[in-house]
Amino acid sequence: MNNPYLPVGATIREVVEESPTIRSFVLLPDEPVPFLTGQFLALTVPGVGEAPFTPSSSQYVTDRLELTVMRVGTVTEALHAMRPGDRVGVRGPFGTGYPLDAFRGRGVLVVGGGVGLAPLRSLLLTLRHDIERYRKVALRYGARTPADIIYRREVEEWRRDGRIDVAITVDRGDGEWTGRVGLVTTILQDTGIDPRDSVAVVCGPPVMMKFATFKLLDIGFPPAAIHLSMEKNMSCGFGKCGHCRLGTVYVCRDGPVLTYERVKDFREIWE
Amino acid sequence: MATYFIPTEEWEALVRALSRSARLYAPRAEGEDYRLEPAGDDSPPPPFSRYRAVQSLKAILFEPRFDVGGYLGGGDAAGPAGGGEAVVLGAKGCNIAALAVLDFALGADVPDPFYARNRERTLIVSSDCLDFKEVCFCTLVGGRPYPERGFDLNLSPVEGGFVVETGSPNGEAFVARFKDRFAPASPARLAARDAARAELTARLREHQRRLGYLWGAVSRELVERVFESPVWAEEAERCVECGACNFVCPTCHCFLLSDHGRERFRRLRNWDSCQYKGFARVGGGGSPRPALFERLRNRYDKKFVFCPAVIGVSGCTGCGRCVEACIGRIDMREVMKRLSGCK
Repeated sequence: MNNPYLPVGATIREVVEESPTIRSFVLLPDEPVPFLTGQFLALTVPGVGEAPFTPSSSQYVTDRLELTVMRVGTVTEALHAMRPGDRVGVRGPFGTGYPLDAFRGRGVLVVGGGVGLAPLRSLLLTLRHDIERYRKVALRYGARTPADIIYRREVEEWRRDGRIDVAITVDRGDGEWTGRVGLVTTILQDTGIDPRDSVAVVCGPPVMMKFATFKLLDIGFPPAAIHLSMEKNMSCGFGKCGHCRLGTVYVCRDGPVLTYERVKDFREIWE
Repeated sequence: MATYFIPTEEWEALVRALSRSARLYAPRAEGEDYRLEPAGDDSPPPPFSRYRAVQSLKAILFEPRFDVGGYLGGGDAAGPAGGGEAVVLGAKGCNIAALAVLDFALGADVPDPFYARNRERTLIVSSDCLDFKEVCFCTLVGGRPYPERGFDLNLSPVEGGFVVETGSPNGEAFVARFKDRFAPASPARLAARDAARAELTARLREHQRRLGYLWGAVSRELVERVFESPVWAEEAERCVECGACNFVCPTCHCFLLSDHGRERFRRLRNWDSCQYKGFARVGGGGSPRPALFERLRNRYDKKFVFCPAVIGVSGCTGCGRCVEACIGRIDMREVMKRLSGCK
């Protein structure tokens, strides 16, 4: 019997410290776990439990998985205590992934906040893989402080090679920060992306998602062109356990990325 | 599908034979109630239950706590073997209606393999109600005190025996297997069945009318319209967050996977309750429904808005189990009555 409740084993290959509370884990699964960018996995810390994460690696890399995880609760706390060589479990992929076919030939404005850049990194790596398919790709990223910027070196590389138009802002600078200070919502205009024929992709803390969405609507993005990563409590991952219900959708099965058009009439979407 | 007649003694002999070849669940009378439990092969013929049992089919098809298997060396990754063929007697119209919700919730898209297996291996023999409990309100949510579809076999008592209706290929195969015991149902017996059904339905409707419960037809619009009503918070004052309403409900199906073991890792599937504070809480601590009244409201939203919109049926079957189980005496009928007075 195919048992969708049980994970395949994976070995932690590498642990990368991204910020004081965020670490990336490079996993080598016992068998390939192919996924589409935007789909998510349930990661098992043996004997402790599972939590859902969207991989931050490209969908074109299949022999290893990268997950970037903020330490916030029981499972992530236990995961942060793990070292290279330790064993975890992986279940999935679940959900539908970003509708890349619908992005083709259009501008793509990627808006990230904090650790929300993790799933967006997977998207950006996938977009960079055949960047000529898209009219223009821009990343607008906000972090609380310079120390909270994840993938810092990689984002710098992206900025330099110019395939993606990158701008970063922090809520509060430090002594060395010479870049922009302010919320990410202040850098969404004048990106050179025409909101009438482009898409926006947003991932970050709920309050940032809310105000970024309102700003994008203001700028002229239609509700159906705004793609939101919805964070909900999930247990099973495939629309059975009921935890992630939002209005008439199950976020795990129908999302986790949903257009604003699809969720705007539901209550409780930003909580 | 088709209707037949079986004399009482033939049916009882058949049940005795069945109890030797399959796991049999049958109602057992206990005071005014019936308990739906495993019946041994030496027990007397189960009573014909007058109304629904305390337990619903959910507990048989979707175990409260179930070991779904081991991982990373924890053994049997395919999950446990399961218990073979089963026959359940005594399900009523409200419980058969609930199967439509469970079949969607646990069986659609990627199914829960253990529910699917239980469903496949269980012959469901339902029967008409002959009476109702004070808390019964199936007629308010579009139901009837007798099943119309969704069973394998349905029994309606008539003089001298039962009219048996088949509702599935499995039910047909059952009748074919024991065809010597069944006769065609005569028009007179069918008429007697229909008259008894109409009489009980009228009596149950009169019961609702006397209690002042008239909200049935508008329940979906009602719950959508009264989202901001103060009634939710007032009713939630008596909720102690025990989850009993969820656990006794024949359609509530939410569950939580939990991990166990230090070296042999096992995973369990546990019934969960949307009334619990942590139900929708995410890792970082945020919750879409931090207040108890929001969670109470969520239960109604799922039953009366989500289920009709997504599954096409009511998520409440009017069985009244949650009314009986609530130690805070939160009565769904009263809540809906109060809400229907809201602007």
